[in-house]
Amino acid sequence: MNPMRRRRAIESALVHVALVIGVAFALYPVAWVAALAFSGTPAPEPQVMPWPQQPTTAHFEEVVGATATIGDDSVWLFGRQLANSLVVALATATVGVLIAIPAAYALARFDFLGKRSGVGVLLATQMFPAVASAIPLYLVLEALGLLNTRTGLVLCYASTAVPFAIFQLRAAFEAIPVDLEEAAMVDGATRVGAFVRVVLPIARPAIAVTALFAFMSAYNEFILAATLLDDSRMFTLPVMLQHYVGEYDAKWEAFAAGALVVSLPVMALFYVAQRHLVAGLASGGVKG
Amino acid sequence: MVDVRLRAVGKRFGDTVVLDGVDAHFDDGAFVVLVGSSGCGKSTLLRCIAGLEEVTAGTIEFGGHDVTHAAPRDRDVAMVFQSYALYPHMTVRDNLAFGLALRKTPREVVDARVQEVARMLSIEHLLDRHPRALSGGQRQRVAMGRAIVRRPAVFMFDEPLSNLDPGLRNQVRVEIRRLHDELGATSIYVTHDQVEAMTLADRLVVLDRGRVQQIGAPLEVYRRPANRFVAGFLGSPAMNFLRGHIARDGDALAVALGEGVQVPLAGAQVAALAPGREVELGIRPQDVVRDDDGPLALQVELVETLGSHVHVHGRIGAASFVAAFEGHQGPARGEVLRLRVTLPHVFDPASGVALR
Amino acid sequence: MMRLRPLALLLLATVALLWPRSGAAAERVRLWHSWRGQEQAVAEALVLEFRAQQPDIEVELLSVPYDAFSAKLASAIPFGEGPDLFVDSHERLGDYARRQLVAPPGDAWDPAAFVDVATAAVTVEGQPLALPLSLKSLALYVDDDLAAAAPPYLEDFAQLQARLPPGVVALAYEAPNAYAHAAILHAFGARMLHDDGSFGFVGPRTADSIALVQDLLDAGAVPRDADGALVTNLFRAGKAAFAMSGPWLAADLGAPDGTRPDGSRGHRWHVVPLPRVRATGEPMQPLLTVESLMLSPAGARKPAARALARWLASQPAALARMQQARAVSARRDVVADDPVVQAFAQQARTAVPMSTSTAMRAAWEPANKALRKILRGDATAELALAEAARRFEQVMRPPPPPASPLPLLLALAAGSLLGAWVLLQRARTAGLRERVRRSLPAWAWLVHAVVAVGTLVVLPLVVGAATSLFAGPPGDVHYVGLANFIDILRARGGPLFASGSFWLTLAVTLLWTATNVLLHVGIGVALGLLLARPVLRLRAAYRVLLVIPWAVPNYVTALAWKGMFHRQFGAVTGLTMSLSEWLGTPIEPISWFSRFSTAFTANVATNAWLGFPFMMVVTVAALGSVPKDVLEAAEVDGAGRWQRFWHVTLPMIGPSLVPAITLGAIWTFNMFNVVFLVSGGDPDGTTDILVSEAYRWAFTRDAQYGYAAAYAVLIFVLLLGLSRGLDRLRARAVARGGA
Repeated sequence: MNPMRRRRAIESALVHVALVIGVAFALYPVAWVAALAFSGTPAPEPQVMPWPQQPTTAHFEEVVGATATIGDDSVWLFGRQLANSLVVALATATVGVLIAIPAAYALARFDFLGKRSGVGVLLATQMFPAVASAIPLYLVLEALGLLNTRTGLVLCYASTAVPFAIFQLRAAFEAIPVDLEEAAMVDGATRVGAFVRVVLPIARPAIAVTALFAFMSAYNEFILAATLLDDSRMFTLPVMLQHYVGEYDAKWEAFAAGALVVSLPVMALFYVAQRHLVAGLASGGVKG
Repeated sequence: MVDVRLRAVGKRFGDTVVLDGVDAHFDDGAFVVLVGSSGCGKSTLLRCIAGLEEVTAGTIEFGGHDVTHAAPRDRDVAMVFQSYALYPHMTVRDNLAFGLALRKTPREVVDARVQEVARMLSIEHLLDRHPRALSGGQRQRVAMGRAIVRRPAVFMFDEPLSNLDPGLRNQVRVEIRRLHDELGATSIYVTHDQVEAMTLADRLVVLDRGRVQQIGAPLEVYRRPANRFVAGFLGSPAMNFLRGHIARDGDALAVALGEGVQVPLAGAQVAALAPGREVELGIRPQDVVRDDDGPLALQVELVETLGSHVHVHGRIGAASFVAAFEGHQGPARGEVLRLRVTLPHVFDPASGVALR
Repeated sequence: MMRLRPLALLLLATVALLWPRSGAAAERVRLWHSWRGQEQAVAEALVLEFRAQQPDIEVELLSVPYDAFSAKLASAIPFGEGPDLFVDSHERLGDYARRQLVAPPGDAWDPAAFVDVATAAVTVEGQPLALPLSLKSLALYVDDDLAAAAPPYLEDFAQLQARLPPGVVALAYEAPNAYAHAAILHAFGARMLHDDGSFGFVGPRTADSIALVQDLLDAGAVPRDADGALVTNLFRAGKAAFAMSGPWLAADLGAPDGTRPDGSRGHRWHVVPLPRVRATGEPMQPLLTVESLMLSPAGARKPAARALARWLASQPAALARMQQARAVSARRDVVADDPVVQAFAQQARTAVPMSTSTAMRAAWEPANKALRKILRGDATAELALAEAARRFEQVMRPPPPPASPLPLLLALAAGSLLGAWVLLQRARTAGLRERVRRSLPAWAWLVHAVVAVGTLVVLPLVVGAATSLFAGPPGDVHYVGLANFIDILRARGGPLFASGSFWLTLAVTLLWTATNVLLHVGIGVALGLLLARPVLRLRAAYRVLLVIPWAVPNYVTALAWKGMFHRQFGAVTGLTMSLSEWLGTPIEPISWFSRFSTAFTANVATNAWLGFPFMMVVTVAALGSVPKDVLEAAEVDGAGRWQRFWHVTLPMIGPSLVPAITLGAIWTFNMFNVVFLVSGGDPDGTTDILVSEAYRWAFTRDAQYGYAAAYAVLIFVLLLGLSRGLDRLRARAVARGGA
């Protein structure tokens, strides 16, 4: 082997070693959660490798099989809550992105009165901790008659997701040459038509990534969901998960099983979107 | 098919004036070239005519109809962009069909027209590709095809050749003119390249700092530039300028350059000039001939051989001067050439206006 | 276009699900609880039975996660929303009464029905405010296979330890938890809270009680750093001869004869009351919690709600709960036959009911901190207890006096006048109308975003910020001007860098943010560079696997890492142990949360894990836009690998990294979940960051929302400054990298 090729082989091996270490670091805690989820009785002894003790699927059965009697009928609670989670997250992603898209476009393409201060306010919303605004939010929803509705929850999530989505999409739109819209307008499209038929299709990766983020934030949220909703048939999965942590004790194995189940759809989405992820962030990236 | 009339068209961005009172009339079917250096407002003027920018003053008429406030899609124009602006998410076929589809043209008509244009531009084999899979020249052809397929009343070209290799550029330039003659619609073409401007135009519009400097047939503009700017802008190498004043040379007038050098002016042209008046004398490098009795003495500093002719750079007195001669045999460095002027131009040194 | 169809269908389904449905008009009673498992099943069965008797009353049961319970009550009931009835611990009654979340049960109250201790517990200011359902306290679980009988005195567990097989502890209980410790404290004659509302976790008796626990820990008879889950695991696995725990442990154990539902066999066990303390001769007296049924003001007015309350507190209902869920009934007329329930019932008779005073909630945090500090040997009992008392006083200090709102009004008036003047000035310059006209089309694209973000994000935020100018107990707030801010910035009058002071917390927060951002960027950029190599096998696989931490909900991450850092049983401890075996040098297992440095490290490790994938993906994206010829030019110029990275790659990706860094810094600055769930502020609140401190003031320290809001405003101001600074950094990066 010539020295150049040998050096290259060694280098490539080192790269793989580094990446494998990185992967191990990334997977170890997840593996622990998985091990716990499959453990019958975890032995109270320190373990290095995350293998389940007395493997069982009982916790999954408990979590997935959760039912409740509400009124006169028995409801498959887990199924309901999974559906709720998906619907709420999907609706949040849709509504959030739909709200953010035109606003981001206006910020990317037009110059108008109040643009600077508007951007400033958007950024500011990201800095104010939610601790102080949770109760006023309840007040606003009450006034709007949106308490205890998934619509209200979706609107809250979507509005919260909008500022970040606007930053993302603005960068993406800015990266698209204006010529394309002008060409479409000369070709016979209106401004809106050019936007819909030319800009939106091109910005698809960025929109997908933005929607993914909005989906994730809604899908993982539990404080608002537990506070705003008054019907366990409306609860989302994280609220269910929270349920396994009680006042005096916690069912950690069931919690872990639930956590895995809850994480699966997001992981799947990440898997599907991972190609877009880079492209979506590449178009100017997240601009502050 | 329409004629285009601009009346006192103005455009400002905030406090910056980009176009200032542009008046012009372009005949139906004319090939109009807007030319000027970068920042002169030529692209803005084109975009105003297309409707992509709203004018802040004046009116624009297409075929007698006021379209000043009409949207681009209501003006029946087509445009070829400098960047080509091909829709990256559509195939070439869809790119070509886009404008027709927006106008709800029947499917069969669209297909037929796309085929026809593709044949015309020899891009039939590219129809199902996406723009990213095309070469620069191919993209350019698609961009032109997209304009042609719509059969608009007015074609717009915004520096369409500037992203092409020089060889290809000449070839496409010829083709654009051929297509224009074939299609017969009014074309408005923006460029900063004077070769394109001279070769393509029926009518040339020279712009500088947002104002029209001169409108006319290319040769007329070349030969009778209205002012110093036009004179200096057109022609390669650029016109030489020498300071002097009007003097009498027998019956005729001449420009005295000092140290006894006098360049005679052809009498009829400049009857109005009073002797003693300060002027600027403009001489195109091509408008000098070697003549041992000529009034100008050119001290040769550098000779460029271009094959068909030579450019001689040097000095006349303190001023630098370029002369162009046919042939391939140039003078040697350090030689002094005696030159006679065949076509002098005279400009007012303050306003730059040509004095005739 | 074909692809759009499934999407449209999905949207339609979404709309259908979200559409509000109209309910039936029957009389409806809503009951909220946080029961789980068997208790929940019994409750559901009881409600069904009730509905069979009263078919025209509809009952809505809602099981709310315990963590969300009181916040949900507090936000719902004042608006007339929320439940008619709810089940909660009696010690909350004082707080609920103050906020008018509960009303007297009226004709649902049966004066003779309940045992005295229960009646006393639910009585606030002479009036019974709830119906006691069941009594919960700690008692002693005995593993019959490991120990013959419970020793008479607590001190005896130390000797017992020597006779047990290795790996087995004598007594498993949550030693660092003041709730558990209270049982010992009471035996020494001290109280958590005196009757006059003053802090009781002070003085030599408290110190003696803690010293006793210290001895047990030193003898290895009690596990260190035990939490509830560990106690359960130890006892269930037969690794603890005794456990001090509540009735909830029994649910995890299977039958006392050792049979388990899954067919396996565990140890046999039984329950007895807690032993005595030899030093005083007194019995240990655990805290008593009376699980009570409370009526909201709306519920108390509804006859149907009161009927349901009567039924749930009735003898048949109590019997059902006892027989099926081992609940110790608060009724006189329900006598336990099950030995486990009997033992708990017996224990309840000597237990000390928790105080209903609102001060009780403020007492836990200082007591817990002091207890842990002393047990770890970080401070003498005297110092730590004095500090706890001081902390308690700080939380319970009277709110600042009402301030005149005049300065605020004047400032507002001046501000709006100034604003109007500026607007007028701008309107006068001719450009404004023109600019407004030209802005109109852009505004049309923005309206809905402005409305949505304005009402649901900005408005709550502004209202929240405004509460920072108010103070006082909920229901009785008054305007105090900037007093909250002044108090915070003066560190409440204490030393400026005492633990828990704003300035120390700020320093920790800045350190926290800087460390995390450095790690995120370091790991993220390094892995991003590796992933972006032109030739890399398995690139897609690496990319997917490395992004996983991003996809896991961060509260799950936080809890997983907390478990891994457990001193005795965590995976990290396991790793160090196997490492020490391998190296042959003994490494003492690290008690991660007992020292600032290690606790902080644990937090940072968790958050670094959580955040690096984002920076990695941003790096990969940014690297895509670095032209190769520039790198090649640098290589031709003779730049080494490191120099190329440092002088070419980094400056070129810098401008796209800075916005991500800004955002990452803001998120980290407010990363509540990790800090709260991993270290929980341990040790001694030193690892708390500003957000978790704000949270504590709002939710665990006597509901001082105004004070918490003031923290939030300060955080906001700080972040504004921070982002300005980073913006400048970006300007420089752009100038340098020219991207």
